[in-house]
Amino acid sequence: MILSPTSEAELIEAVRAARAPLAIEGGGSKGGLGRPLQAQDTLSLKNLGGVIFYEPAEMVFRARAGTPVAQLEQMLAEHGQMLPFEPMNHQSIYGAAGAPTIGAVAACNISGPRRISHGAARDSLIGVRFVNGFGEAINSGGRVMKNVTGLDLVKLQAGAFGTLGPLSEVTFKVLPRPSTQATLALHGLDDARAIGALCRAVGSPFEISGAAHLPAGILGDAPRTLLRIENVPESVVYRLGELQKIVGGGDTLDAAQSEALWRQVRDVAAFASPDARALWRISTAPSRAVDLVRRVQQGGAVAHFYDWSGGLVWLAVETGDDARAADIRAAVAACGGHATLVRAPVDLRARVDVFQPPSAPLMALTRAVKASFDPNAILNPGRMYAGV
Amino acid sequence: MQTNFTIAALADPAMRESEKILRTCVHCGFCTATCPTYLLLGDELDSPRGRIYLIKDMLEGGKPASEEVVKHVDRCLSCLSCMTTCPSGVHYMHLVDHARAYIDHTYTRSAPDRFMRALLARILPYPQRFRAALFAALLAKPARPLVGALPFVGKRMAAMLALAPARAPAPPPVERLAIATPQRARVAILEGCAQPALAPSINAAARRLFARLGVAVVPAPGEGCCGALVHHMGREEDALAFARANVDAWTRLIENGGLDAIVITASGCGTTIKDYGYMLRADAAYAQKAARVSALAKDVTEFLSTLDLAPAPPAGLTLAYHSACSMQHGQKITDLPKNLLRNAGFAVKDVPESHICCGSAGTYNIMQSELAGRLRDRKLGNIARLKVDAVAAGNIGCIAQLSSGAGAPPVVHTVELLDWAYGGPRPEALPKN
Amino acid sequence: MTAIAFPKPDPAILARRDEIIAGLAALVPPECLVTSEDERRAFETDALTAYRRLPLAVVLPRTTEETSKVMAFLHGAGVKVVARGAGTSLAGGAIPQEDAVVVGLSKMSKILGVDFADRSMRVQAGVTNLAISNAVAADGFFYAPDPSSQLACTIGGNIGMNSGGAHCLKYGVTTNNILGARMVLADGAIVEMGGDWLDSGGLDFLGLVIGSEGQLGIVTEATVRLLRQAEGARPVLFGFPTSEAAGACVADIIGNGIIPVAIEFMDKLAIEICEAFAHAGYPLDAGALLIVEVEGSETEMDAQLQRIVEIAQRHGVSTVRESKSAMETAAIWKGRKSAFGATGRVADYICMDGTVPTSQLCHVLEKTDEIVKHYGLRVANVFHAGDGNMHPLVMYNVNDPAEQEKAEAAGMDILKLCVDVGGCLTGEHGVGIEKRDLMRHQFSEADLAQQMRVRAAFDEGWLLNPAKVFPLDGRTIAATSAR
Repeated sequence: MILSPTSEAELIEAVRAARAPLAIEGGGSKGGLGRPLQAQDTLSLKNLGGVIFYEPAEMVFRARAGTPVAQLEQMLAEHGQMLPFEPMNHQSIYGAAGAPTIGAVAACNISGPRRISHGAARDSLIGVRFVNGFGEAINSGGRVMKNVTGLDLVKLQAGAFGTLGPLSEVTFKVLPRPSTQATLALHGLDDARAIGALCRAVGSPFEISGAAHLPAGILGDAPRTLLRIENVPESVVYRLGELQKIVGGGDTLDAAQSEALWRQVRDVAAFASPDARALWRISTAPSRAVDLVRRVQQGGAVAHFYDWSGGLVWLAVETGDDARAADIRAAVAACGGHATLVRAPVDLRARVDVFQPPSAPLMALTRAVKASFDPNAILNPGRMYAGV
Repeated sequence: MQTNFTIAALADPAMRESEKILRTCVHCGFCTATCPTYLLLGDELDSPRGRIYLIKDMLEGGKPASEEVVKHVDRCLSCLSCMTTCPSGVHYMHLVDHARAYIDHTYTRSAPDRFMRALLARILPYPQRFRAALFAALLAKPARPLVGALPFVGKRMAAMLALAPARAPAPPPVERLAIATPQRARVAILEGCAQPALAPSINAAARRLFARLGVAVVPAPGEGCCGALVHHMGREEDALAFARANVDAWTRLIENGGLDAIVITASGCGTTIKDYGYMLRADAAYAQKAARVSALAKDVTEFLSTLDLAPAPPAGLTLAYHSACSMQHGQKITDLPKNLLRNAGFAVKDVPESHICCGSAGTYNIMQSELAGRLRDRKLGNIARLKVDAVAAGNIGCIAQLSSGAGAPPVVHTVELLDWAYGGPRPEALPKN
Repeated sequence: MTAIAFPKPDPAILARRDEIIAGLAALVPPECLVTSEDERRAFETDALTAYRRLPLAVVLPRTTEETSKVMAFLHGAGVKVVARGAGTSLAGGAIPQEDAVVVGLSKMSKILGVDFADRSMRVQAGVTNLAISNAVAADGFFYAPDPSSQLACTIGGNIGMNSGGAHCLKYGVTTNNILGARMVLADGAIVEMGGDWLDSGGLDFLGLVIGSEGQLGIVTEATVRLLRQAEGARPVLFGFPTSEAAGACVADIIGNGIIPVAIEFMDKLAIEICEAFAHAGYPLDAGALLIVEVEGSETEMDAQLQRIVEIAQRHGVSTVRESKSAMETAAIWKGRKSAFGATGRVADYICMDGTVPTSQLCHVLEKTDEIVKHYGLRVANVFHAGDGNMHPLVMYNVNDPAEQEKAEAAGMDILKLCVDVGGCLTGEHGVGIEKRDLMRHQFSEADLAQQMRVRAAFDEGWLLNPAKVFPLDGRTIAATSAR
């Protein structure tokens, strides 16, 4: 059965009435993210939508969890503002029809290329309202940018994939949309030199808001190394010039080209459906990213590209028995970081750890914290870790 | 900060003053960050805020100083870095001076401690005795390891020997200096106690430079130690006796022909002389005279800055400027010496962590030799990063302390460098070209 | 003055004091253990000095491992623990209690490693905030959060309180700038959270721990994110005839899509106090002052400033003065950052820390003034206007118990007002003991119970900084509210 509450009261009712696990979903754009779970009923938040307030002068809005991201982005654009963290749209990699919702962006801590300069979704998320396993509506955070009142359950909820309770409302801070952008593209660099150039650029004072390297075969035949600058036109021109001195040349993509290309980077268009290879998202330190990829390559071919100056590696591999999980976990253990199996067939995601397995004491804390929100394991149990 | 003194306790003017100081402290903790001993030890008890709290508790309770309080107050260098940092204007110097005097009255130190302190108090402030002791130290220097092994006092005696220069300084030169005309000022120069014995070249340089600039230096018979050494040991009465003697000596000059300044070439002494007005505030016979002396007291660089020295050609020498704590924190003289040196043709670099003490601090390098040694090495490490030809400093204590470290570059008094730049002899400590 | 209650010390623990100290003495050398009454006294409070409690003992471990051993021992002995960084909390976050041991991180002040390519740095928790930036300044980098006490406060304390600062309008607060941390749990277990990369998967324990006020564990090491310094930075002083005009100007700047690095506000009294200390050239004739800092190349700063000046002129700005040198810039910031301490020259004070929506700034300033006048006291306002984080300094005489009571009552009224207009009790100082009893004004019982259950998941026995953050009387709820 699909439960689709239209108000928080109905949401509370649905949770209170539940006697068996509920699968929580938003718009259905990224149902393939996370471990599959055995739940008879689905709790869909897509009918719990609508903007509660938007104060452009305070750069903040609050919306119900089921509000489509696209609707919010349009609302913000009308006031010259944007979501700072540039959330990825998973429709492309899953080939899903559903539209992403703001609640899911918060719950899964979804960010994009601009994460490197403006933080992740969790950094802009300043307030949440959610329903815990006791069927209580809980507030944490608020609508102001600085707030250390009590434990920061907002952060805990961002990236908890609904396992600590469905969000009913989220409050985000937003930023003015820069008046223009441009991208500096370097050509023909191998991975190591590309990451070196990205790190030099990101370590410059010119506020790079996108730093990706696309090896040969990723969105083009030849390798491209991309650096985005967003600002007022005069600054974009000036900074591109300074940047060229640092990385040694490169040519410029204008605003329209830049925007289109970064959308492809954001949505991992290189591995878009119908590509069905297993897809890994690996976060590591930029200076170790190339080594990490090389280690995985030793066990067999992969397709890959880098975002976040090398700190984010997208790896596409043949599905096989374990989607190369053993190789990848070993490489991550050697280089530091964490890996998430973002796309794989359901049975494989049930068999293989989708999320990086936490250390034993952190796993114990994860269980204890989960129990403090949801002692009867009603809410999305097993989405992140088996039995949690 | 809240205080809790009895009305009876506040009848004592010193206690009243300390209460006033404690009331301005808001316990914000900024001072901990710039305190040398806190940097080394990481214990709030060895920070200004911790000491203020210990002192507060001791004074409020009217109880005798405890061993613990004495330990932490003794570890204070009186570098006054905390006073530069303090946004609330807490007069830590007067508070810790009061605490030291209070400790001196209420606490009985161990026999070796008493011996060491009495020894220092009886020798250092007296130029004749100090010169004799220095001579003895030179003879004993080879025996330093043996001395160090002596029970109880060995470590401190050894530290004392380590500070003695490697060879006896030349006796004070007798020079007849022609004062350039027109005469621009009439001043006294503090002779003091240890400096003429350790480095007579400093005041000699000041005299030569002054003569060339038309500044007449008049002798002040009866002048001697400023009192700082015993003051920092908490020997309040001894300190005041020195202060009165100096006030008398300079007052005679002020009232007979006048003085434009009392020039001091050791900033440690300068800080104390500038405080005579406060130290003698309760002495009806001296309060006014002492305030007048304090107002006339000037560091030699302060005084020189009023004389508009002409720029000198580049000397081809790069200096690190080491600001003595008494200079930068005690007297708040920060840029003047560097400006004078640059104007005189030297390239001058700031030392990283320049606000942190070198560990000299009067008799600290003898009484707390281990901490002092760590601070000295930290300072020399920071200086080494600059790759300079020499170090300029305005305090004899720092010069002796830094020079005692392994691999220290030559450390020269600012006024010797200035004298050289304006026609005087090349300072002896500098390597020959 | 004891308006804020402390729990009654556990007599069983007090009775075992000698045994507990002997246990600690077996784990750390004598210079790391403070036991005499005289010496413990110095640790009885932090920067909220109206409240004081003598701790059972103070331990100053030198390593994570030493901390772990100490924690394991205290956990086994059932002894409460209060973590302490530099003890600069204005909210009483580090104030001990008689049956608790203070674990101080001040001896753990080493920088463990710097990585410019990955823009991160590993430090021990006792390193001061400013020491981090100083260590990389020569290479052109900095650590962004800059609380006014940055000279003295430690990164461990910053993590405990999720500290902010003047420049977080652009760069965010502590939680946005920490990549990883090592923490010793209540029972002595050591956990590693995050790393030197972005966004570690799993529950965001790092985000939870930041701002948890020492109740979930003791952070002993942290990996901080370094940022590259801008090409240039220039603070500009804008003097306005009234606070209202200055407040309206702030709203207008942000409403126009301009995000300067910092927008700081001072009212007339604060201007006078800070100018007397820092000699920064603040306009003494102005009724209110904004310090607006812009960054970038010279041309970029000029362009942004021009837009800000135009907006300020619409609000009747009376003085505009740009910093012309590094020394002037330093003096301008020194004055601002020393505002609290400098107020100490004039009077004792308590410093509130509520945050309000920026559209409410003028209203809250006006009401604050009314509240404080009602109690017959004075208030100086100096705060981070860009993000609505107010710092009214309520001035009084701490040696007069009646005045202390009034000052605290005024402070509570101001904080309630902040919550009522859509803000919160504390923006960056933390709840500590100071605002503990106001938590119900912002949160429902269910909200608090959920937070307390999370807390208990880390520290079942409530041994860590137990008298802080949550009202003392509601704690049984945590255990009994399950349906």
